[in-house]
Amino acid sequence: MEALEVIHANLDYLLWGTWPDGPLGGAALTLVLSVVSGLASAAGGLLLGVLLAVLRGWSRQVLLLVLGFLRAIPVLMLIFWVYFLLPILFGLNVPGLVPVVCALSLISAAYLAHAVSAGIAALPQGQWNAAYSLGLTRWQVLRYVILPQALRMMLPSFVNQWITLIKDTSLAYVVGINELSTVASQVSNRVMIHPVPVFLFAGLVYFVLCAGLSALASYLGRSHQHASPAMV
Amino acid sequence: MTVELLAPKYLTWMANGLLMTAWIAVIAIVFSTLAGFTLALARDAKKPVWRLLARCYTLVFRNTPLLIQLFFWYFAAPNLLPENTMLWLNTPHPLNLAGCTLGWPSFEFLAGTFGLTLYATAFVAEDIRSGIRGVPKGQYEAAAASGLTRWQMQRHVILPQALRHALSPLFGQYMNIVKNSSLTMGIGLAELSYTSRQVEAASFLTFQAFGVATLGYIGLIAILDVLARQVQQRVALPAGN
Repeated sequence: MEALEVIHANLDYLLWGTWPDGPLGGAALTLVLSVVSGLASAAGGLLLGVLLAVLRGWSRQVLLLVLGFLRAIPVLMLIFWVYFLLPILFGLNVPGLVPVVCALSLISAAYLAHAVSAGIAALPQGQWNAAYSLGLTRWQVLRYVILPQALRMMLPSFVNQWITLIKDTSLAYVVGINELSTVASQVSNRVMIHPVPVFLFAGLVYFVLCAGLSALASYLGRSHQHASPAMV
Repeated sequence: MTVELLAPKYLTWMANGLLMTAWIAVIAIVFSTLAGFTLALARDAKKPVWRLLARCYTLVFRNTPLLIQLFFWYFAAPNLLPENTMLWLNTPHPLNLAGCTLGWPSFEFLAGTFGLTLYATAFVAEDIRSGIRGVPKGQYEAAAASGLTRWQMQRHVILPQALRHALSPLFGQYMNIVKNSSLTMGIGLAELSYTSRQVEAASFLTFQAFGVATLGYIGLIAILDVLARQVQQRVALPAGN
């Protein structure tokens, strides 16, 4: 009972930090971080994925190398790099949130790029041929024929990537951003004797967010299969 | 312009960090593979209670961040364990094996590898499970017709084939284990990311410190990649099959 009291006493702080009197934090900041990096990585992943599908020769090799690099290093290392390089490149002190969003978006985009290019490759060659024979240019084919179909197929992987992002926002802990994991460890340190309920509660919040989205992803996957049986 | 190199002292720190990362990864890979097999079998077990338990495990461990899980094992679990157990875990029990002494690991190490293994198990199990599902139904029927018991069938017919299907995603998970081991710095385990931060703070050579650590991770991933190719070549079926 006393344990639940701890959660109750710190509920506001765990859910939205000191907002509205101070900066947003806690679960709300986790959500904001994941939405912003989710959108940025969706845009980036789409761009890189299309490039991966259309580029040939050495430029494709360079892109593959960059994507391979991003997929080979831990998110944590990339956060360190961006945290350190951004001020040097732009000569100003950026708020701590920016490096985290950049690092998460970059890695996430690298993963999505392969999903996007696989989605494009999965479409039958006849789609390209038919569109070319209508006199569309390469970009028009992509924009009006290929991407609309490929994107529908890829929707579940975008949602799955978002779930990964929600979990990965916890890494913002290493640069002291007040998102849910940081706030939970602060509360646990302050209260001292009740780490169990505090971390269980934080885990529960993440679980609700991730499992909820995961259910949405499988629903989208099913409804898509339903909508176009020819593609299955 | 010359780039100042890291002093030998710092390189030693980094090398120790790299060894620690490799060590955590190897332990987590071995145990999560063993536990992953068990979990995969439990998910398709005959008894509904096993299936339910396995499903819950997968759901919980896949849908919460590894960092929170590590915090739980490091900060919260000691409160749940009996005092005697904690005392036993925190006192050194050096292991004497054929003349060489294995030191007793720190609680950070125990909590870190334990947490990483449990997290990875949930992912490894799913890959093994899809490998098992890739084995054609006829194989079960043929094994049963040959008079094999359920266990023999799994051991000699199904799992070897399932493993072949699952190899490539499994090695992907092993690479994730290497990368995820960096999160154990959150509970103060002196692995590669942790030591790179330490070297950076002590030497102010940020670029070099992060550069060496990044190369270390890429090296470990590359080793796994080469291993994956070799294993795949070895178990590949002759063409036409």
